[in-house]
Amino acid sequence: VTRPPLEAVHALLAGAPGFMPARASSAAAGVDQVFAFIFWVSAFFLALIVALTVVFVVRYRRRPGRTEAEVTPDHDNRLELLWSIIPLALVMGMFVMSTRAYLHLTQPEGSTSPPLKVSVTGKRWSWWFDHPNGKGAPELHLVKDRPTELVLASTDVIHSLYVPEFRLKQDAVPGRFTRMIFTPTLAGTYPILCTEYCGTDHSRMLAQVVVHPDQPSYDAWAREGLEAGASLVEIGKKVFAQRGCAACHSLDGTRRVGPTVKGIWGHQVKLADGTTVKVDEEYLRESILKPAAKVVAGFPNVMPPAALPERDLQGIVAYLQSLGETP
Amino acid sequence: MTAQATTPSAAAHAGGSYLEHGRGLRSWLLTFDHKRIGLMYLGAIVLFVLLGGVFALALRLNLWSPGGGLVSNDAYNKLFTLHGAVMIFLFVIPGIPAALGNFVVPLQLGAKDLAFPRVNLLSFWLFVGGAIFFVGTLVVGGIDTGWTLYPPYSLEESRGLGILLALSGVFLLGFSSILTGVNFIATIHRMRAPGMGWFDLPLFLWALYATGIIQIIATPVLGITVALGFMERVFHLGLFMPEYGGDPVLFQHFFWFYSHPAVYIMILPAMGIVSEVVSVFSRKPIFGYRFIAMSSIAIAVIGFLVWGHHMFVSGQSAWASLIFSFLTLLVAIPSAIKTFNWLATMYKGAIVLATPMIYVLTFFAIFGVGGLTGLFLGTLATDVPLHDTYFVVAHFHFVMVGAVMTAFLAGLHYWWPKMTGRMYDERIGSLSAWVTFLGFNLTFIPQFFAGVAGMPRRYATYAAQFTGHNRLSTLGAFILASGLLVALYGLLASLRTGRRAPANPWGAASLEWSAASPPSFHNFDEDPRGVRPYDFGGLVHVSDEAGWVREGAR
Repeated sequence: VTRPPLEAVHALLAGAPGFMPARASSAAAGVDQVFAFIFWVSAFFLALIVALTVVFVVRYRRRPGRTEAEVTPDHDNRLELLWSIIPLALVMGMFVMSTRAYLHLTQPEGSTSPPLKVSVTGKRWSWWFDHPNGKGAPELHLVKDRPTELVLASTDVIHSLYVPEFRLKQDAVPGRFTRMIFTPTLAGTYPILCTEYCGTDHSRMLAQVVVHPDQPSYDAWAREGLEAGASLVEIGKKVFAQRGCAACHSLDGTRRVGPTVKGIWGHQVKLADGTTVKVDEEYLRESILKPAAKVVAGFPNVMPPAALPERDLQGIVAYLQSLGETP
Repeated sequence: MTAQATTPSAAAHAGGSYLEHGRGLRSWLLTFDHKRIGLMYLGAIVLFVLLGGVFALALRLNLWSPGGGLVSNDAYNKLFTLHGAVMIFLFVIPGIPAALGNFVVPLQLGAKDLAFPRVNLLSFWLFVGGAIFFVGTLVVGGIDTGWTLYPPYSLEESRGLGILLALSGVFLLGFSSILTGVNFIATIHRMRAPGMGWFDLPLFLWALYATGIIQIIATPVLGITVALGFMERVFHLGLFMPEYGGDPVLFQHFFWFYSHPAVYIMILPAMGIVSEVVSVFSRKPIFGYRFIAMSSIAIAVIGFLVWGHHMFVSGQSAWASLIFSFLTLLVAIPSAIKTFNWLATMYKGAIVLATPMIYVLTFFAIFGVGGLTGLFLGTLATDVPLHDTYFVVAHFHFVMVGAVMTAFLAGLHYWWPKMTGRMYDERIGSLSAWVTFLGFNLTFIPQFFAGVAGMPRRYATYAAQFTGHNRLSTLGAFILASGLLVALYGLLASLRTGRRAPANPWGAASLEWSAASPPSFHNFDEDPRGVRPYDFGGLVHVSDEAGWVREGAR
């Protein structure tokens, strides 16, 4: 069966060259399209460079009867501008395609179901995944076609979570939260690899992600078996009580020395310097570790910094989130 | 034209060459002669390539089977760290500028020496000092941080003494590199032969000038960064370590602010060599001199603004990533200009397939692959999956090993007769070029495929699906190594058995070829005047012994 050339070109651009892993996330198709475009542009230019080199060497090799070069212009501004502008146009095309794909893969898309939010912790040399119902596991469980948000943290050094089939990767950096937003699109089990060098067993810091075909399948998994230790919300509740946070930050909306923590999650708060900030993981981390950095308008700057361990910070975040978002 | 050039007998000037000027170890170790310092650099650098190469072969052997097995994971991690650190800091960065540049710069300018000969010697000894610290790192058990030294891992107490020695070594090597850059820039500004304007400079000098700019602006940042890292480890200042209140990503910014421009410290001099060789061995003036010269400067300038492309998945903001991606892609344009101008130089030439030219022809293919695969990594969407996989390993080996080492070997063979006064054996030279090219591609092309399929870098063990890729790579590495050994053998053998080199064996037009081979201590017997470096008109091949002579020469 012969294909019309245009159709073939279209197929090449829509599909990746045949050596890529399966496409299992919302990011994969866009990434592969950019990859294919760069691949064929590169293949063309490499072929051109090699072909010109070979042809020139064969035709213009110094030999009896050809001891001197022919006289040709030693420059040609128009020609040189031409081979500056063509690559410029091509790389700008790559940039535009890539930007569209990248914004698509970093921004959550409009969807009916709420995102599945999983807290990911990297530590030497294993991964831990705290799922929303409180179930922690050494493997990640997701649902096909359900938007997913991973919030990554590390308890020691930098790690990086990589799933080749998702075409996605994100570093887990100690001292901050990072985020990965996507939708799995193909049910199956895929490897999770660490791609930031982290010491002796870096190459054995492996896990897997299970993409369930539907929500009931995920729910069945989430119910089964024993919970491994306390959930993040439980940890957070305990830390909040032990540290005496409630002395200044009420749980019921009462105004005390500091602002209440009831229903603040996702809320825009006005700060003393006039700016506003959204209450999210990063803001809560900063407000616990460096309380003076962003003081809520109308409250005194008196809170002492609390150097909480990473796990406790994640717990507090999960706990405050469980207290409900802005109505 | 000097008398030597027309005198085939080497005996006539043997007594006067720089190699005979002064005897004994002291006359070498404390010399201010740029040519001797260049040769000492060359000797040191070749030793370190061999050392780094042995590490590389051990790595490749360990990767023969998915479970590793030859060495422990810890030993593997130390091996790849030392392989990277030795190759980058002790070979690729100083390689072309310090070894070949030191020798060639004053000769191409028609000068007696560099502007600051004492500083040049200091820079050599700082290099040796830095290298000794690296050897010290080995003695205390090595380090396993990767050459990128990312905290928190690198600055944890358990890394021991090795990391402090390595940081000190990098600090000294940085100063060595800065001093070389300062020296070259001052020399090119102040010591051009009378009548030699900026656009009469050989393109190798434009390339080294652009390199010098990067060396003096970017390298101090490296020095400061490793000094801060040292203090963070010892005094817990709270800069890079989260446990003391620091930010590890800040280190990455500092590190790549130097280390990305450092890639251009490596590749620009390589491009300079290619410009010289392709013109001389096509017997044609270089095509588009000004575009090539300016594209070197453009690469140096844009190169400062692209460091963030190493950090697309580090958690930096999406906007920062987009801007860095945009700027990174712009580097493609000056690179494309150079490539097409080189090809246009060959058009309708009279191409001589001597060893330097064969290396340059293979450079075109290798640099083509290295540069074009950079597009995948500069482009944000495709970098996200490819970052820190074997695709990156293959890409930077194509640029840093393939392109830089190939150009280094082209330059070494090209200037070898000038440096030693001996002709190497063309059969051995061209054999080495083809074996190296074959081995190189066999080693690194499979790594692109492994990377796209999802094999991360710095893995001592790997999934069984990648066994085939890795075995091809290991076979290739041994072929590559044998190609390099053939080159080394050919050059060393020429010292004993090589024919005496005439002043101008290639028919080149730039000034270094009007000095004797090897040059006298003062380079030129009479002060030369500037020439047009790519004007081959009137150069006539007299005989293999007498080389090329300009018709109607005085």
